[in-house]
Amino acid sequence: MQAQEYHERKEQLAGWPVKIVSYRLGSTYYVSVHNEEPGAWIVKCEGQTLADAESKARRQAEEALAKVKRTPPAAGCTSVPGF
Amino acid sequence: MSTGLQTASGVVVSTSWVAEHLNDPKIRIVEVDVDTKAYSEGHIPAAVGWDWSRQLCDTLRRDIISQQKFEQLMGESGITPQTTVILYGDNNNWFAAWAFWQMKIYGHADVRLMDGGRKKWLAESRELTQEAPKIQKTSYKAKTPDYSIRAFLPDVQAASSRKTADLVDVRSPQEFTGEILAPPGLPETCQRGGHIPGAKSVPWAKACNEDGTFKSPEELKTIYGGAGITGQKPVIAYCRIGERSSHTWFVLKYLLGYKDVKNYDGSWTEWGNLVAAPIERP
Repeated sequence: MQAQEYHERKEQLAGWPVKIVSYRLGSTYYVSVHNEEPGAWIVKCEGQTLADAESKARRQAEEALAKVKRTPPAAGCTSVPGF
Repeated sequence: MSTGLQTASGVVVSTSWVAEHLNDPKIRIVEVDVDTKAYSEGHIPAAVGWDWSRQLCDTLRRDIISQQKFEQLMGESGITPQTTVILYGDNNNWFAAWAFWQMKIYGHADVRLMDGGRKKWLAESRELTQEAPKIQKTSYKAKTPDYSIRAFLPDVQAASSRKTADLVDVRSPQEFTGEILAPPGLPETCQRGGHIPGAKSVPWAKACNEDGTFKSPEELKTIYGGAGITGQKPVIAYCRIGERSSHTWFVLKYLLGYKDVKNYDGSWTEWGNLVAAPIERP
């Protein structure tokens, strides 16, 4: 058995840059979505067709990414005496 | 025969080198993935799989595995102290590097990473199997743990307040500034965003090429040296839970040859949750 149809592409999902990786092992397609920074795997789905696996992966990744809370960075250092 | 990236310590092997050594009895190939189901989908023939979340962590103590558990894992994997262990995994070897670091803590002599990890093996359409290998168990005796490569909280406090070591934060720039608390799409595991005062930001992925392989030592020297991480002082690497920073620890110690490099596995989930600890933003 070998991975076939290995493919990577970059996109935006829910406002976040992601990498979508797909390949086929035997008769099963696997699609994973990774955040571009830092490159972590977010979701991975499988299906009997590429479209099926990818639609599931995209939906689950969008749900996870939509929950990310962004806080505008405040400047400055909080320091505690004696620490 | 290609042996992969030429390093002084010979700890990186190429996918082609691994393909040529699948049946070498002196070698044990081990897959360690972030995605703990990936091994069962298909793995390198004869490779054993380790689940980082159960077999490389003591979740009760929030610690690395004990010496006894380590010896048990090695024995069940058919590894002796003389075995050459080749580690590989997904996410450009994040948890393969985590396993490498623990194997070095327990003194295993010959451990190597497969350059490019699982991604490169798949992309090259190399052979995979779903069959678990037949393992002849061994009795493994680990060495006394070497904690010179592990940073604990007091080491990091001293590095931050007294500049006893260079701190390198290997998370994404948005985690470093405090804009987000965890990599997008992953669970938030800390109370606050920001970084340890004095830390320099060098995201782990800067050490890798697009195909997942490590950059050349010359490129790495430019990247880390440019951020002031030169190896002239001890270095402590950290991230969120210690796996990304074990990747950078590997790069600094084995590809750049820095003498004193520690991985702070407590990382941001310890410091970011610590009562009264100073943080810096951005």
